[in-house]
Amino acid sequence: MTLWLMAGLLFTPLAWAVLTLLTDFTRGRLVTWGGILVQVLVSLGLWLVVSRDGGFYYALGGWQAPLGIELRVDGLAVTFVLLTAVVASACGFHAGVYIDPDKPWHRYFWPLFWFLWSGLNAVWLGGDLFNLYVGLELISLSAVGLVALGGKAGALRASLRYLLAALLGSLAYLLGVALIYGQFGTLSIAGIVFWLEEHPVPAGSSLALALMVAGLALKTALFPLHRWLPPAHGIAKSPVSALLSALVVKASFYIAARLWLELGEPLGNLAAAQLVGLLGSAAVVWGSWLACRQMELKQVVAYSSVAQIGYLFLLFPLTYSVSESVSLQAQQGITLQVISHALAKAAMFLAAGNLVLSTGSRRVDALTGVSRFLPFSLFSFALAGVSLMSLPPSGGFAAKWLLLQASLGSGQWWWVLVLLVGGLLSAVYVFRICRASFLESPETNQFYHPHRSLEIIPMILALLSLGLGLVSAEVLSVMALPFEEEGSP
Amino acid sequence: MMLPGSVLVLVAVCLPLLYPAMALHAGWVRAMRYVLPVLPLPALLLALGSEPGWQLEMPWLLNGGLWAMDELRRLFLLLTAVLWLVAGIYAVGYLTSHHLRRFCVFWGLTLAGNLGLTVAVDIGSFYSFFALMTFAGYGLVVHEGTNEAIRAGRVYLVMAVLGEMAILMGLLLASAAAGSQMLADLPEGIAASPRRDLIMALLIAGFGVKAGLPLLHFWLPLAHPVAPTPASAVLSGAMIKAGLLGWLVTLPFGEAALPGWGALMIVAGAVGAIGAAVVGVCQQRPKAVLAYSSISQMGLMVLMVGVALADSGRAPVLFPVIALYALHHGLAKGSLFLSAGMSLPAGAIPRAGAWILIALPGLSLAGLPFTSGALAKLAMKEGLLENRLELALASYLSPLMAAGVVATLLLVLRYLWILAGKLEIGDNPPMLVAGWLTAIGVSLVAFWWMPWDVGGLVESPVWLPAPYQLWALLWPMLIASGLALLTVLASWLVKQR
Amino acid sequence: MTLNAWIPVFALMTSLIASLVIFALPEKGYRLRTAVNLVAALLKLGLVVVMVRGVFLGVDYGVSFTMVPGVTFVLKADAFSMMFAGLSAVLWLLTTIYAVGYLEDSPNRSRFFGFFSLCVASTMGIALAGNLFTFFLFYEMLTLSTYPLVVHRGTETALKAGRTYLIYTLTGGAVLLLAIAWLHGVAGDLPFREGGHFIDADPDIHRSLILIFMLLVAGLGVKAAIFPLHGWLPQAMVAPAPVSALLHAVAVVKAGAFGIVRVVYDIYGVEASSALGLLEPLSWLAAFTILYASVRALRQVDLKRRLAFSTVSQVSYIILGVSIFGPVAAVGGLVHLLHQGIMKITLFFCAGNYAETLGIHRIDEMDGAGRRMPGTSVAFTIGAFGMIGAPPLAGFITKWTMGSGSLAVNMDWVVVVLVFSSLLNAAYFLPVLYRLWFREAGVTWPHERHWGRLETSAWLYWPPLLTAAMTVMVGVLASLPFSPLSWAELIMLREYAP
Repeated sequence: MTLWLMAGLLFTPLAWAVLTLLTDFTRGRLVTWGGILVQVLVSLGLWLVVSRDGGFYYALGGWQAPLGIELRVDGLAVTFVLLTAVVASACGFHAGVYIDPDKPWHRYFWPLFWFLWSGLNAVWLGGDLFNLYVGLELISLSAVGLVALGGKAGALRASLRYLLAALLGSLAYLLGVALIYGQFGTLSIAGIVFWLEEHPVPAGSSLALALMVAGLALKTALFPLHRWLPPAHGIAKSPVSALLSALVVKASFYIAARLWLELGEPLGNLAAAQLVGLLGSAAVVWGSWLACRQMELKQVVAYSSVAQIGYLFLLFPLTYSVSESVSLQAQQGITLQVISHALAKAAMFLAAGNLVLSTGSRRVDALTGVSRFLPFSLFSFALAGVSLMSLPPSGGFAAKWLLLQASLGSGQWWWVLVLLVGGLLSAVYVFRICRASFLESPETNQFYHPHRSLEIIPMILALLSLGLGLVSAEVLSVMALPFEEEGSP
Repeated sequence: MMLPGSVLVLVAVCLPLLYPAMALHAGWVRAMRYVLPVLPLPALLLALGSEPGWQLEMPWLLNGGLWAMDELRRLFLLLTAVLWLVAGIYAVGYLTSHHLRRFCVFWGLTLAGNLGLTVAVDIGSFYSFFALMTFAGYGLVVHEGTNEAIRAGRVYLVMAVLGEMAILMGLLLASAAAGSQMLADLPEGIAASPRRDLIMALLIAGFGVKAGLPLLHFWLPLAHPVAPTPASAVLSGAMIKAGLLGWLVTLPFGEAALPGWGALMIVAGAVGAIGAAVVGVCQQRPKAVLAYSSISQMGLMVLMVGVALADSGRAPVLFPVIALYALHHGLAKGSLFLSAGMSLPAGAIPRAGAWILIALPGLSLAGLPFTSGALAKLAMKEGLLENRLELALASYLSPLMAAGVVATLLLVLRYLWILAGKLEIGDNPPMLVAGWLTAIGVSLVAFWWMPWDVGGLVESPVWLPAPYQLWALLWPMLIASGLALLTVLASWLVKQR
Repeated sequence: MTLNAWIPVFALMTSLIASLVIFALPEKGYRLRTAVNLVAALLKLGLVVVMVRGVFLGVDYGVSFTMVPGVTFVLKADAFSMMFAGLSAVLWLLTTIYAVGYLEDSPNRSRFFGFFSLCVASTMGIALAGNLFTFFLFYEMLTLSTYPLVVHRGTETALKAGRTYLIYTLTGGAVLLLAIAWLHGVAGDLPFREGGHFIDADPDIHRSLILIFMLLVAGLGVKAAIFPLHGWLPQAMVAPAPVSALLHAVAVVKAGAFGIVRVVYDIYGVEASSALGLLEPLSWLAAFTILYASVRALRQVDLKRRLAFSTVSQVSYIILGVSIFGPVAAVGGLVHLLHQGIMKITLFFCAGNYAETLGIHRIDEMDGAGRRMPGTSVAFTIGAFGMIGAPPLAGFITKWTMGSGSLAVNMDWVVVVLVFSSLLNAAYFLPVLYRLWFREAGVTWPHERHWGRLETSAWLYWPPLLTAAMTVMVGVLASLPFSPLSWAELIMLREYAP
């Protein structure tokens, strides 16, 4: 059973990718929709298995580490797998309607989409540093390709810039991996932890960690390395932007977080943790500020991603040399933030895409009067905004609550200010959009009405992110599941 | 007897209270005018027909409602009902169609307040009715809508609101001191309270606004002349007495001797009685003169209140006298006010008759023998006998009363003098005449059959005052007449040159 | 779980579901929308009545589950929550009726009624919240769902007002969140409980508790419009009249006041609050707000703005009442929660009627309107006198009870504040009444409409009259069981003798 699930999870996307590569856009769409169904079912199945029986290591093809591909199937990983299934399928369905099938280069959307998905699953489940790297590269390359699908010169420029950043990040990460391998002789994270328990920390291994984290931070667009993100996310097609903002940046962060949680205590130090936290805070403030000042709707959303990603890096200071319970709160908070931001941001980009489609302009001030014509999309946008503003009952709120508790509990009250100010700033840019659309103006009453299904998908995502807060305890309970072979091999 | 009283009181209060609802139906507006005289009838029936002593408990009302009747309240209820009745009859003939609906609404509300406050025994409903009367009264004052009326209304309202607030604060403090929501418990509570003087100052000032206490009286001479005549009559006759009743039921009479407050009130009364007369005789308009006369008359009652405050033993005796005086003054003053809106008949003999009828209540005020005034004055004299009182100012009281009578008569003469120049010859609407005649009749004749008991101060029968009393009644009147004559002569001489 | 546990949830759901249904209805579905609104409102009222009776008899209504690790989401009905829930249920019904008439033929009605129901759901949630966390959840939901109503007209002024509103409330919300999170860190998950939790608090946390209290009051004070956090309220008056009526007179400002009461009584406990020295400064603040806002109201020429400042002033009565350490004064404060709501909604209904029927917005245009619209004007007069505190209306009961209570604990200055406030109320309401009844009307009204037999549309005519009648009834019948006063006494009985 598990075998089928794992295989289904990792390899069928590749199969769909190859299949869609061979057909045109319209047929690719059919294949994809079928594939999505399978993927969702498989992801759900795995999640059910883990939530019933607890997590486990899984050696792909029966080969044990360090030779084979070792997968770490724990609650967190399956949660993200499920999240990916939800968001990616939403984006897939949306893209099927949204993307114009007549442009010839659009047929490459589906293969890239599937490569991305399989890369994501590989990252969530990856147990050793090299396999994570492979997954990461798969993601980066397909993401760059997806951005380039925008077609115009601007899109190409943005995707090149993105590619450059991604490669640089990968390079740094790979360097770190090499150093680690040199020092510990293993690439399995669990193996390194095991090694560290018996030996003193070797000199220079901190550098390796720092390199890896820096590379991943670049890929995650942490301030001040964020410059590549807004153009890429802003100019891509809306479903692509949604995928990128919701999932892609989370993948690199996920690796960074796992590294930090496992290796941070022995290899890191307080200053580094605080520095990362500080950069995260700067991202929150600076990103929000820039989001408030953007003239184009999707740029607003893109800069909002920069800001929201900033929160994630508060994980570093909030888990370093603090009590067990505080650390747990911080981890739970960040997990929720990842999930709720993924759902909300996807909803927001999709809704923004609808608004752009409807007004025929990418500008914020073109939204005047749209509240009367497209209330549904606007409502989705605003609901997603609620989560970004971290207002109750959204998942963002639950995340913020836990982070607040962690900050107060560890005495690091300065992050409290960041959390509160960030919330207010995000309210400013969300309501700026609302304000523009509530404005009644006599001359604007020509709007294009997008297809109904385009409107429903972001609403579902927004509602999910909103409702996440109410069930956050259940969602997080998966994380606390028992895990087989704790501390081995 | 208990049930009918308590049922009747509900009817008596609710009838005028609900009467304004008639205004909602456009078709009934014309009928509203004719209902005016009916409104106080149940109250009159209550005052005349039921024995004091019943009470109506309404635990659901405000902070626990209790309405009841005692001798004092019965007299005030009687006064109120009778006066509003005659004024109501008069109003039917008097009113024009100018904002008739509005006038009737405010009339009903004011009446409800005025009746209600006489039977209310708990603080909440007493104060409610008092406030209702005050605020609805504004509508009567400004009814004519002239600039003068509006100005007067503004002064009335400002002072009324200030007065209401003083009362509210006073009652609040008193209620807290007494730990009770009943008026009957207040005097004891106030007397024992450390904040006694503050409470008394607030209550005296608050009710003083209504009662025309000197310095708080400004609204009175402004408001009474501008209001429609029937409204002036009830304003001056009945509503002004509500302030007096307020004092009587809240201040700590008989609980402790308060010579300081007593002296203050006596001085205030004296200033009111004499000062208002001095200002009043200089007035040019008949109703303004009457307003000052009211202040002057209230001064005498304030004086009695002062004595009652100062001499705790004497208070039970003085209470009936004050009530009697209030009754007498209310009816007489009401009649005088109603006269101001009359036209004189054409023939010489009817005209002379009319003048006699106009003058009689005035002379009654001054204490003309065989009138209610004589009785009131004698009772007051008996009540304030120097040798029965224990207070420093006692020896001044007798001359003060004499001066008061002089002042009263001078004002009445002044009123008649101005009225003679103003009244025109013409026809009166029948209802107007009916109201006026009833007023005078009640004031002069019916008074004798009214139920009152002055604590045995004045020997019955009182038809014929004893010779020494006659003289006591007459000499101040003679002085006043002499003064008036001198003035007329002097002005005649001045005109001759 | 038993049925009882779910009744609060049902009460919440009636308006929530109504809101969703209405959002889904097409703009033209006038009858259906009205029907949904009214049915939901009646259903909610019925549920609240059931709960009121149950709470009186001591039935436990409540449901709770862990929402975020360490925190529970609690819906619970106690005596105090029923007070607020009852108020919003009754007034929701009336305001819905009113709004149907008011918004006739205006655009975006689906959106309006959808958010309107959402607001009511939030209010209900605030009332039924069983701990600060749950309270906060609905508190912020209220902020968000009110915004579209404030900016409903979509004009520049409306949007500007909306922005001000958000700046104030969201900042307040952030401060509140900080305070709640801090309190949670200090003391854990605290349910609302009569008598509070901090009577025997560890002296080490006293300083934190004091700071947290200040933050809590600052956060809640924005909605309760305590000086100097009241600036949004007068601006928000650009909203349509039903919004001003229900939300800015009742739901929003009351949510703040309700929260402060909850904090003082059911989190800190009145004795602990007093022992920590928290109540006295609060009472000064409230007293200052009462007087300050009344003075500001005097100078307003726009009717709704005058009413708004009056709201600012009147809401602080509630705060003043609870910040006096004594049961009687607190009863006065609590009962004002209802009384002020009923009176102020009357006034706003009337202001809306004048605007909708005659086009009157400014006070100097109101000359003679009493003759043209007697029913509305009678209601307005009753509401205004209630505000002044004239007996036997609702406001008098408040003032009397609060005055007696403060005298009982030797806080005489409160009486002075009450009286001064009444004077100021009189000073800004009586001139309006004078214009209504005693001035002659001009030749034409700014923008008059006719509706046949009644002075205005029947939808607009009856709600203010009903609330005016309630203003009279709650005053006159104050001592009946289940009257607001008796109910407030019940709450205090449970609070002071837990």
